[in-house]
Amino acid sequence: MSGAGFLLDLHRCVGCGACVLACRIENGRVETAAWRRVLPLNLRRRPSGPTYFLSVACHHCDEPACLTGCPSGAYEKRADGIVVHHEDLCLGCRYCEMTCPFSAPQYDEAKGVMSKCHLCAHRVDAGRLPACVAACPTEALQFLTAAAVPPDGAGDRVPGFADPAGCGPALRFLPPAGARRSVLFRSLEEALKR
Amino acid sequence: MPALRTIRTVCPRNCYCTCGMLVTLDEANRIVSIDGDPENPATGGHVCLKGLAYARRVTYADRLLTPLRRRASGAGFEPVGWDDALGEITQRLSRVRTEHGPEAALYYEGSGSHGALGGLAMAFWRQFGGCTTTFGDLCWPAGLEATRLTYGDNRHNHPSLTVQGRMILLWGHNPAETNIHQWRLILDAQAQGARVVVIDPRQTDSTDGADVHLQPRPGTDAALALGMASVIVEDGLHDSEFLDAHAHGFDEYRQRLASFPLERVASITGLEPEAIRGLARDYARTKPALLIAGFGLQRHSRAGQTMRTVALLPALTGNVGLAGGGWQYANLASHCLRPLRLPPEPAAARSIPVSQVARHLETLDRPPIRAAWVERGNPASQNPASHRLREALARLDLVVVVDQFMTPTAELAHFVLPAKTLFEEEDLVTAYWHPYLQWRAKILSPPGDVRPETEIWRAMCERFGYDTSYFPGDREAFLRALLPEGCAATLEDVKARPIDLSENGDVAFADHRFPTPSGKVEFASDEAAAVWGVDRVPAYAPAAEGAESPARGRFPLQLLSCKTRDRIHSQFGNLDWVRGVERPHLLDIHPDDARARGIADGSNATVWNDRGRIELVVRVTPGIRPGVVHVLEGWCHDGDPDVNALTAEGITDMNHGATFYECLVEVARA
Repeated sequence: MSGAGFLLDLHRCVGCGACVLACRIENGRVETAAWRRVLPLNLRRRPSGPTYFLSVACHHCDEPACLTGCPSGAYEKRADGIVVHHEDLCLGCRYCEMTCPFSAPQYDEAKGVMSKCHLCAHRVDAGRLPACVAACPTEALQFLTAAAVPPDGAGDRVPGFADPAGCGPALRFLPPAGARRSVLFRSLEEALKR
Repeated sequence: MPALRTIRTVCPRNCYCTCGMLVTLDEANRIVSIDGDPENPATGGHVCLKGLAYARRVTYADRLLTPLRRRASGAGFEPVGWDDALGEITQRLSRVRTEHGPEAALYYEGSGSHGALGGLAMAFWRQFGGCTTTFGDLCWPAGLEATRLTYGDNRHNHPSLTVQGRMILLWGHNPAETNIHQWRLILDAQAQGARVVVIDPRQTDSTDGADVHLQPRPGTDAALALGMASVIVEDGLHDSEFLDAHAHGFDEYRQRLASFPLERVASITGLEPEAIRGLARDYARTKPALLIAGFGLQRHSRAGQTMRTVALLPALTGNVGLAGGGWQYANLASHCLRPLRLPPEPAAARSIPVSQVARHLETLDRPPIRAAWVERGNPASQNPASHRLREALARLDLVVVVDQFMTPTAELAHFVLPAKTLFEEEDLVTAYWHPYLQWRAKILSPPGDVRPETEIWRAMCERFGYDTSYFPGDREAFLRALLPEGCAATLEDVKARPIDLSENGDVAFADHRFPTPSGKVEFASDEAAAVWGVDRVPAYAPAAEGAESPARGRFPLQLLSCKTRDRIHSQFGNLDWVRGVERPHLLDIHPDDARARGIADGSNATVWNDRGRIELVVRVTPGIRPGVVHVLEGWCHDGDPDVNALTAEGITDMNHGATFYECLVEVARA
């Protein structure tokens, strides 16, 4: 992880969706698809797996597939790692929709262009937190600046989240604790330790 | 950069959090952001998804902006001007009063929006000669009364002290979904080493984050509490010093414990004896231990006595009056506004229990109910026996509903009057988890033809030729006069920040003075016996439709209809933003119960009892206790199942509450 991104504490996140709504308000995503979404893992609470929520948007990857696959140069990776999309350069070809393994870019039917989370670059540039992070009621979703060192125990993989294309998403996880870690999950972890 | 302005206000929903909010508007009065008020330490500078959803809600396309009148054909509504609407309502109300008397009109107010001005409707009804109102409360009254009988008052520690708990015992409480700012504090306590224990028949987002989860049979909490107390006393883990000085009736209570040995309690609750013993010892040995009870364990007919047994555990273990410990149910510190000035109460006032509106609409005589005015509520979906309530409302001569959106209740109205939102009228808002009085600012002018309820009632008084001096002229002056007696804060202070109205500091009962008849914590209460006719020492008794009921032969499953994060009862569920983040609406059933009925995950099932029948999609989950099924309440749009078609019109043993969770059903493949 070489630039700015998110840290998600899977123990503190209760999947409430406040981040999704805060993003909608901040970025004028009123009647269009939301840039951020909450993916519940194990809604049936099967004891064979952990129960937690992945609040995800764009991961501002080290190697952004959206950018490399864009024929019109509409994507830019800023020096601080934030991947921004320039609507005025976008052809609406939707290649990025296919190349991004995380489904971050959203097609805007009305405008005929793509759009995606820009990590609230306008807020970050003004020294403020991204809207989703500022709104998180349990402080589960956190902002990592380009210079930040993720806290001890933070990892880049959890069940339910993969990086199949090797994009290097700038997203780190603090693992679930308490009962969220199912029996099997715990025993796997213990098995791995041994 | 366009000029932005930020205004401090408060969310008035019927919710623990009562968040302080900062709303930022642009020059065109569009909401550009909604943030938490950092001056409210309980909510910690955050709101929740519902608070954020106001940015969508106030300008939502479905919002009612003009009065509506039912078409002459009976099908659908047509817009109508205020003059015509109020003129016809006046005529019809007058006719009802002439033919049947004033009590033939029912005034029903729900909990949809909290504020001091809500009570001004009575300025009209008292001059009308009276009406029929409701008494009691659908939600929490048994727990309030049990707490009052036990400790003398409903107060608890300041929320910020939650982080000092070494053990946090959540009993029938699910703050990760219904009190999210408290959950943040609990997570902070847990991160500092506190154990979080949850007692809930269901697996919830709170139990997922907890360290220990016990799943008793619903309605058996009193047995569990008495069983824990038996272990604590047997092991000598009770706080004799505290009890000697501050307990009333402890010896009688101690004798009562003999009837609740561990094996019996295990068999009633369906828990392992060792789990009960372990929890009891852990709770008694940990100080400070904070016991937070939710509303969930008091939604049945034995609610008050149950809550007394649970409320006594902190006293038994000397966990009262210390930071990080205590009994926490409701904090009414901010509930001390002066009463509104109202006309004298007329002789013709009549009142019915709020959990039995359907029954009374059907059966009341001399006079029967012929008209209903509904405000801040949606009884056709949210009250017990909702299907019968709908039929009864549909038979009336006049139904007026004031709301922001169409609801199942509004669909039955003759007139639907458009209601303001929280941003469109000033008010003072109290809370029940934190001790803050907060100012609800007027941020926006009501859109379209919307009028605040105060103005609707003023106009009604004018039409009837009544005294209108009860209504505010200058709203700020009016609200200033409601500030509590002896309150050091001015209205300007309340507008500047949330005002803590605790009279006794952050730690409730730190002085060990209990305003009960004995001046002590009442393990035995003569008052309980005198007022409610219950045993002076609380005990467990099986409920008529509980885990041990003979009715389980035909209806073997206990139905719970709980709350979650994305709604306050039936509010917010109409919004696309909320629908986009909500969880699926399913009937949760244990794999054993599903298998026995041949029901597969994702299939349709019928849920029924002698009161009603609904259809739902099933989610087979090992997270729910066998013998218990669950569906979220509050869904009332687009063909949503009407869970209250199944619930009974029971009344709690004290303080006139409802019994939503005392509901046996059977489930079959549809």
